[in-house]
Amino acid sequence: MSMRLLKFPDERETRLLFVKWLVALLIPVLAFTLWDGESILNNTLLTLFTGFTVEGVTTIGFVLSTVFVLIFYAVTFALAGYFLAADSGRRSMIELWIDVVIFTLVPMLLVILTTSLVVGLALCIVVWPIYFWVRKRVVAALHYAPPDPLDEVMELSPAQQDALKDRGRSGGFWFGTAFSLIWLVIDLVYLFSGGLPTPVLIFVILRTILFPVFGLLLGQLGGELALRRTLGALQKKADAKDKNAPAVDLESEIKSLSPTRAREEVKELVPNDQPMRSRGAQLFYLALLAAFVLLYPALDPLLFSFGTVGRISGFADAGYYVILALGLNIVVGFAGLLDLGYVAFFAIGAYTWALIGSGQFTVLTGLQVNPQVWPWLFWPVLILSACVAAFWGVLLGIPTLRLRGDYLAIVTLGFGEIIPIIFLQMDKYTNGTNGVVGIFSPHFPGINWTTFTPVPYYYLILALIVLLIFINLRLRDSRLGRAWIAIREDEIAAASSGINLANTKLFAFGAGAFFSGIAGAYHAAKVGNVTPDAFSYNDSIIYLAMVVIGGLGSIPGVIVGALVVYAVNQLILAQLDTMAADPSSVLHIVKVLAPTFTFDSIRNLIFGTILVTVMLFRPEGLIPSARRRRELHHVDQGQDVEVGSLDVPPGTPGFESEIRVE
Amino acid sequence: MSLVLQLIVYGIATGAIYALIALGYTMVYGIIELINFAHGDIFMIGSMVSIAIFNLLGINSDSHPTGWFLAVAMILSCVGAMLICAVLGVVIERIAYRPLRNAPRLAPLISAIGVSLILEDVGKLWKGNTYIPFPQIFPNITYKAGAISFSSINVFVLVVALLLMVALNWLITRTRIGRAMRAVAQDRDAAALMGVNVNRIISTTFFIGAALAGAAGFIYGLQYGSTIFTLGFNLGLVAFTAAVLGGIGNIVGAMVGGILIGIIEALATLIPPTVLPHGGSAWSRAILFGILILILIFRPAGLLGQQTPEKV
Repeated sequence: MSMRLLKFPDERETRLLFVKWLVALLIPVLAFTLWDGESILNNTLLTLFTGFTVEGVTTIGFVLSTVFVLIFYAVTFALAGYFLAADSGRRSMIELWIDVVIFTLVPMLLVILTTSLVVGLALCIVVWPIYFWVRKRVVAALHYAPPDPLDEVMELSPAQQDALKDRGRSGGFWFGTAFSLIWLVIDLVYLFSGGLPTPVLIFVILRTILFPVFGLLLGQLGGELALRRTLGALQKKADAKDKNAPAVDLESEIKSLSPTRAREEVKELVPNDQPMRSRGAQLFYLALLAAFVLLYPALDPLLFSFGTVGRISGFADAGYYVILALGLNIVVGFAGLLDLGYVAFFAIGAYTWALIGSGQFTVLTGLQVNPQVWPWLFWPVLILSACVAAFWGVLLGIPTLRLRGDYLAIVTLGFGEIIPIIFLQMDKYTNGTNGVVGIFSPHFPGINWTTFTPVPYYYLILALIVLLIFINLRLRDSRLGRAWIAIREDEIAAASSGINLANTKLFAFGAGAFFSGIAGAYHAAKVGNVTPDAFSYNDSIIYLAMVVIGGLGSIPGVIVGALVVYAVNQLILAQLDTMAADPSSVLHIVKVLAPTFTFDSIRNLIFGTILVTVMLFRPEGLIPSARRRRELHHVDQGQDVEVGSLDVPPGTPGFESEIRVE
Repeated sequence: MSLVLQLIVYGIATGAIYALIALGYTMVYGIIELINFAHGDIFMIGSMVSIAIFNLLGINSDSHPTGWFLAVAMILSCVGAMLICAVLGVVIERIAYRPLRNAPRLAPLISAIGVSLILEDVGKLWKGNTYIPFPQIFPNITYKAGAISFSSINVFVLVVALLLMVALNWLITRTRIGRAMRAVAQDRDAAALMGVNVNRIISTTFFIGAALAGAAGFIYGLQYGSTIFTLGFNLGLVAFTAAVLGGIGNIVGAMVGGILIGIIEALATLIPPTVLPHGGSAWSRAILFGILILILIFRPAGLLGQQTPEKV
């Protein structure tokens, strides 16, 4: 580490690069700091060192929120290093700054303006497509041709690699310095206008000294991570993987791909035209998202001043939608079996825990139930409901084996109708229309867990979602998963290739039902009562909509689809109604003009319109799997059809040519 | 025994309505291989439009028009419902289905489900979410044939339905348009090569199917006296079962399937509570679907459908 670092770069290109990224990153970081970051840190210090308290927030809550803020800054420092090392410098500054403003400032602004996380984000989802469309028009009008990504594919010499590493390191350092200086100035203004409490003052001084240091270290980390994605490093990794495999020359492989395919592969490489979208940066985003989601219950009271319990309860409810979407994704997305009666398995899972973990068990078997001991059964029964649901999934899948497409849909729809009717009419066992009430919440050592404490449920559903995403990924990348995709694409060809159609389809139904069994047991415990009319055809449609809108067969897609559909269905309209009832908000005009109108009453109208619109304009969903996007958007903006290389032997690791056959 | 026969008579009356709706489903599926989930809701809109036309003419639930006025009002209401539903069907096809004609199968299906949801909410916003009474203006005379009784309304419903079905059959088998429709259903590209305007024929199919649903809405209101916005989904599902039962894509199959489903539904009420808790009537939908599933397992093409081998 030389003193050379501490001098701001003097070559014009590198200097511009630094300015570009420092400004780009400072915008969101300063916005976040001024919005909440600063107040969280200051309040934590005051709580810890003076007697300061905020109603509704515990000390642990403050500490955890501080942890999140520090993680946020750490990620930003590392990203500063990564971006500076990874950028090839060819895209313009203004473009980047506009992108940053639209994708970070606009959501923050909308959330602040609407004082609601969900409505704010929903408005973003409306604003962003408009921005994309405007941008496309502007680009076309200016005849701007983005530089060809293939030009960047080159081996970097060791000197160049060192230069990149240095850039990363000094990028982090200068970002840390700039940030801490600006923050210092802001705090000095506070100091001279009103004075600062002592702990905060000490923190300001510490921070001004330490942030450049952290910037240096984390920037170096970012730079190192960027270097791992250069062509040379990837080549070394490929070479080291299997000594017996034929030698793989990544550079010529990428150059022989078609442009669309090459652009996808090159997104991972460093140097990169758009490092914000590269896969390396995505790891940082994921880390930040994970920290946010994990620490959300501590953050929520500090971001919004009221309504925390309701919001966390809402998110805990949304979680089971995500699990259902993941399960239906297996049946409809991977295996292509259109299932319109998925709610049946959900009902089976819910009733399993309901019949075991409540007073109904006494009614059924005559055994007395000890409310202190019995809830511990939730954990084994979670697995049991999943297995019971899977069993029924297989059973109900058997009649469908010979059916194609739409007939399959109707039969599954039939089962989706029959099962709730069975639960309704067999009221000797299931208590009919009144349903089962008083279902126990699970017990866990040291936690007070009832239907009214959403935070343990929130973490439970998070754990379940992570587990099930992992299972889903392993299933997708296994032989079984590939068999499902083969069946989806062409049944007869799959059967001719030796796939046992019946077993594979039944496995798909079983796996999908397994997921919904887990969701059902969780839902029964969370809501505390189960009635047959909670499971209807409408729900099956909602689950299907989640998967289709999110992106069939794509795991991040269906998760986002589940959250979007849940938000539209349950949260947004209710929030709009609350806002309209509030005389001080903009929406009150609606109430004045039409007093009997509620947003909730047009829920199906809006939902149906969204379904039709998404199908008309983006049938592959919000985050399509790569395969689907290629299927549905063959023509790539005027590119000619390119024949991929036929010389590369099939089975070359990590490689897929695109060959268009007319 | 006479109870069974009585139930069969009721069943035929109900089944005629199912048959009219099922015809719309089967025609659309035959021609573009799409389950038109919105079709049941078009039926529901038809019944509401009939009520609206009656109200426009000054007739509401407690009026008692007679003679020419009655006849004119009924004709206006029926034809009005048919026309408006037909136009609605064509509009839906243009907006929600035509752009997706070449998309993978799931896209128009989801689009249809979306349209169904939209129509349900339109019905709810228009007429509220409780049962809306249909003007019971048709003179209700009970006839008896031995131990079986049926009302004039049943007869009227049956007559109207049969007339429409016969007219449709004549249209399909004896006219040029019908031949064009059969051609497009059989092989769309070949029909286009033969000079058939495929887009127009598909629109015509939707027009006719939706008109039939509108008529079904009118006679449903006459027979049962009320309508509600969820009617479309419930009856639509049953009618679709009827269409599949008879062999989807097959016009006569839809008619037969509809009547059969009506009879089965009526006879299911005979099942005593000892066999099924709460008796057969509570389980009628489950029984219906059970029968559908059995048919699809053992004869997937339906009763009158043809088994077409899937070509590679």
